[in-house]
Amino acid sequence: MNREEAVKIVMSMLEKNVEDLEMSEDKMDKTLVDLGVDSLDIMLVIMDVGEAAGVSISDDEAEGLDTPEKIVDFILGR
Amino acid sequence: MLGIQSVASYLPKGRVDNLEQADRFETDREFVEQKIGVATLPRFEDTDSVVSACVAAFDRLCGKANIDKSEIECVVLCTQNPDKGGLPHNSALVHAALELPEECACFDIGLGCSGYVYGLSVIQSFMAANRMKRGLFFTCDPYSRILDHDDKNTCLLFGDAASVTLISETPRYTLATAKFSTKGAGSDALQKTANGLEMNGRAVFNFALQDVPKQIKRTLVSAELTADDIDLFLLHQGSRFMLENTIKRAGIPAEKAPIRLSATGNTVSSSIPLLLEEELDNRPRRILMSGFGVGLSWATAIYEEVKSS
Repeated sequence: MNREEAVKIVMSMLEKNVEDLEMSEDKMDKTLVDLGVDSLDIMLVIMDVGEAAGVSISDDEAEGLDTPEKIVDFILGR
Repeated sequence: MLGIQSVASYLPKGRVDNLEQADRFETDREFVEQKIGVATLPRFEDTDSVVSACVAAFDRLCGKANIDKSEIECVVLCTQNPDKGGLPHNSALVHAALELPEECACFDIGLGCSGYVYGLSVIQSFMAANRMKRGLFFTCDPYSRILDHDDKNTCLLFGDAASVTLISETPRYTLATAKFSTKGAGSDALQKTANGLEMNGRAVFNFALQDVPKQIKRTLVSAELTADDIDLFLLHQGSRFMLENTIKRAGIPAEKAPIRLSATGNTVSSSIPLLLEEELDNRPRRILMSGFGVGLSWATAIYEEVKSS
């Protein structure tokens, strides 16, 4: 998977699960909390991203993924 | 054939305002109302106990079904937070409180949120094997006894309740099929420690959204049914957000799966019978029940209405 594909997955899963959130490149390094993603939404987004990218994300690993960019880096590192 | 004849429940009078709790934990009220989905939580007061709550549920059952106590041959009680530390088994204490006959089998089952689906199967199998005709299956798991009052993850979720289900030879619903699963390696996701109840919300969430829908689909396939054939899906009422997404992932039409925990919270093994009691008047033809939680343990069963001859 290349970066472009990873970014697309992360953005689409954020938009799918978080009401009224429109993603753009300049929001990739914002924290999920600043983007209005609450703690339950984060769990859903991480799960959906893991399934869409075909990677397993452990609870401990998920804890550190607090920006869209970090999620992208994580799935590219797998 | 044995099956479910009637169901009754009991909610203690004590109440906790969950929005006031939200303020105490500095949590957004909207989040508590819309995502957790719980406005008030029923709570045991000092005078409440597992036994008194079960007796109160039984009293309500007597208003719904004609019960001759001398005919009760079996009492099973599901709890993981029993009175007197579980010794004696609380079903024996209920037996005493209800003044049931000596020729009556009594035992407890230690299961959490999967307990209702499991327990129904256990009592029906036990009664059938021993040719019993009428039995009572109670659920009562007062988590308020083990809550860490500084832990918002659990304090905002759990409510106390009890239920009783009359199992008899003249049932309204009989078991068609059931599936049971366990992931013991993940049991630390929800456990009692020296500090009280501890929950890894993410692990429980992942379990509910990934494992439970698979079992629901597998149960339907094994019964050669689809979601269209089921009139009512009764899923354990964990939290609103978790339920909405579990329902979605299981491919269940939302209108067939009630989400009703605003005034009860997560009542562990009592959540499904609480819903069942309300829904029986609508006479659903086929009901799928799915309970999931502590263990990690999950169980799904399909019950079918008995056609009157």
